[in-house]
Amino acid sequence: MTALALVLGVAVAVAAVLLVAVPFLREPSAADDRLDATSADEDARRRLIEDRDRALAALKELEFDHRTGKLADDDYRELVGPLRRQAARVLRALDDSRAPEAGTAGGMTEPLTPTPVPEPGPPPDEGTPPLPVPVPEPYPPPDEGTLPQE
Amino acid sequence: MADLGRAALAVSFGLALYALVAGGYAAHQNRRRLALSARNALFACFGSTAVASAVLASALARHDFSFVYVWQHTNRTLSTGYALSAFWGGQEGSLLLWLLVLTGYATLVVALNRRLLRDLIAWVVPVFGGIAVFFSFVLVFVASPFDVQTAPANGLGLTPSLQNPYMVAHPPALYLGYVGLSVPFAFAAGALLSGRTDERWIVATRRWTLAAWAFLGVGQLIGAHWAYVEVGWGGYYAWDPVENAALMPWLAATAFLHSVMIQERKGMLRVWNMVLVALAFELSVFGTFLTRSGVVNSIHSFAKSPIGGWFLAFVVISSVFSVALILWRLPLLKARTKLESALSREATFLYNNLLLVALCLTVLWGVLFPIVTQLVKGESRTIGRPYYDFFLRAFGLPLLLLMGIAPLIAWRKASVRSLLRTLAWPIAAAVICGAALVAAGAGSSKPGLIAYTFCSFVLATILVELVRGTRATGSLLVLVSRNRRRYGGYVVHAAVVLLAIGIAGSSAYSSSHEVKLRPGQTTHLAGYTLTYRGAEPIVGDPNRTGEYALLDVSGRWHGTLRTGDVNYTGFDESDRDVGIRTSWLRGEDLYVIADFTKGSNAVFFKVLVKPLVNLIWLAGIVFVLGAAVALWPDAREQRRLASRFALARA
Repeated sequence: MTALALVLGVAVAVAAVLLVAVPFLREPSAADDRLDATSADEDARRRLIEDRDRALAALKELEFDHRTGKLADDDYRELVGPLRRQAARVLRALDDSRAPEAGTAGGMTEPLTPTPVPEPGPPPDEGTPPLPVPVPEPYPPPDEGTLPQE
Repeated sequence: MADLGRAALAVSFGLALYALVAGGYAAHQNRRRLALSARNALFACFGSTAVASAVLASALARHDFSFVYVWQHTNRTLSTGYALSAFWGGQEGSLLLWLLVLTGYATLVVALNRRLLRDLIAWVVPVFGGIAVFFSFVLVFVASPFDVQTAPANGLGLTPSLQNPYMVAHPPALYLGYVGLSVPFAFAAGALLSGRTDERWIVATRRWTLAAWAFLGVGQLIGAHWAYVEVGWGGYYAWDPVENAALMPWLAATAFLHSVMIQERKGMLRVWNMVLVALAFELSVFGTFLTRSGVVNSIHSFAKSPIGGWFLAFVVISSVFSVALILWRLPLLKARTKLESALSREATFLYNNLLLVALCLTVLWGVLFPIVTQLVKGESRTIGRPYYDFFLRAFGLPLLLLMGIAPLIAWRKASVRSLLRTLAWPIAAAVICGAALVAAGAGSSKPGLIAYTFCSFVLATILVELVRGTRATGSLLVLVSRNRRRYGGYVVHAAVVLLAIGIAGSSAYSSSHEVKLRPGQTTHLAGYTLTYRGAEPIVGDPNRTGEYALLDVSGRWHGTLRTGDVNYTGFDESDRDVGIRTSWLRGEDLYVIADFTKGSNAVFFKVLVKPLVNLIWLAGIVFVLGAAVALWPDAREQRRLASRFALARA
């Protein structure tokens, strides 16, 4: 082995060892060495958020398919109600899952106020059409738009 | 400097092993600092592999024949560009490229997702580490590119067929594709190992999978063009086992890219997607095994060695690991919803998946058949072109039809009435196109006629979808920018249509003619008249000797074509240099191959006229464009995903 190769080889090895050891060199004794794992609550919330995004995206897709003529009025009426109910159900569940924690996490003494459901970002589709086509629903879902009012 | 390369590879092996063992232990035992340390080991593994790669590249550029690898694959007459391309011209260099790309991908994807997906990344690192352990092990202990010898005066040279500009780009593109498929595999395995089978692994790897799939597709098209201009048999795809090795993972990845949309929208096909990701990855390793082991006869198997057994063992172990993992986590992979109608967008995606996987497995059986017959009967039997052509038509034509129907069918549920109404224009366009083709005499080939009719149907559906979408949103730009993946996908569909038109045109409607000509004699084909003027030797090129035949062409084109036999320094066999005249207006090629007769001034010519063949290469450009649209970062989507993660932690 030439001297240059030896020096460079040692340099590569030392650099690698240093990089690997960095977490232990920075924190020789960590107070909390646990991985930043998600809690069961967090997982449940994530599932709800995924369901929410999915439900809202499905509604947007439905609107878009209807507007572009892929979906007949009858089919649209049949599908839109259950989808809206599902979206409302998920939003309510999401709101419920966040409300208690908002009160306990910071040791708040003030009366609980519902955590506002943030406006979900637009789902990955074409966005809302400028002029929605009014198609009456023969059987308006009873629980639509009945998010907690308190 | 070979010692430095060897040392760097040994360090890579140690780091990969550490990432696997320490990373796995840290994830299992929930140790934060150890997990970070394992992650850093993966980053460092990329660094040390880059050092090893730089050593080999430097030796190739300097023609340092004390490196056995450099001596085997280059000589002093090679230009620097081709000398550097010898990096992937041989087995050991190709494996080093695999490891370099793998650790590069791993470093990038882990670094970019380290904050959002901490719990998942802890399990992804050991999976990447496991794959890197295999490749670094083979490079250190089985097939090192850093073996040395007393330097000879000159090298053996690069295989002549690799001395082509396309071969500078084709293997790296394929490797970026093959290796890129390990990203979704590592994340899928990480999700299963951690039990976090939510959508995060899909979101994190979406673009990486798309990029790998695009590289694999482009790599194959570059390879097809190389075969067309370099191999000199008049075709571009021969269903060669090594060509099929790249096609199979691409088909599996194509199926995944479609079915994953159903998981994202409906929470369905979660097991199926895991299977597809594993299949695509295993097929990519299997492809490398086929190319490198010499287990099958192929014009592309440039190297043969005993590493085949190691690769086979890796494919078997990783397949068993994948299947066991999926079975273990089956309860977590239950679908959240059901298919609502057999007439819906998701149902067409499902049919598309079944056809793509069926085609993939059919090709796999064709590739495995010689090996199976060798094992069972003691003699190797090869499956020929008719087998592949039959199944390409059987699965490919319905796929083409589905590609037209799917964009115009509603999600969830569609009625026959609304579907027929939506498809009225495309059906009319297809019928008119089919009738026009029959009237123009294109009915001589039924598969060709069906393919063209279906192609016009697909193009019409894309057009209709764009027009209706633009009307609904008010602007084409808004329409595309709000869903780049969908409209990028439609551009890719258009590329597939161009590809199908090119393949059908150049195979079903081509004409060919073989003739022996002496100087001054003439032949005719499809409106072209070719007169053999005489031979012209190659002079002034130290790397090449041989001669070219000059043909004066008249009729549909006027000019001179050159085609010849070329001998490369250090190689006995000659290489054909094809004469091609391209008409971009008609998409047609006049293609001539010369075969010189020793001791005579007569030359055998094979003349082909291949209509629309250039649409295949044009399809490659459109494919890249579509992939770029689909891959383009979407700030709105990024914000939405960031808010999703932040909200879950709130």
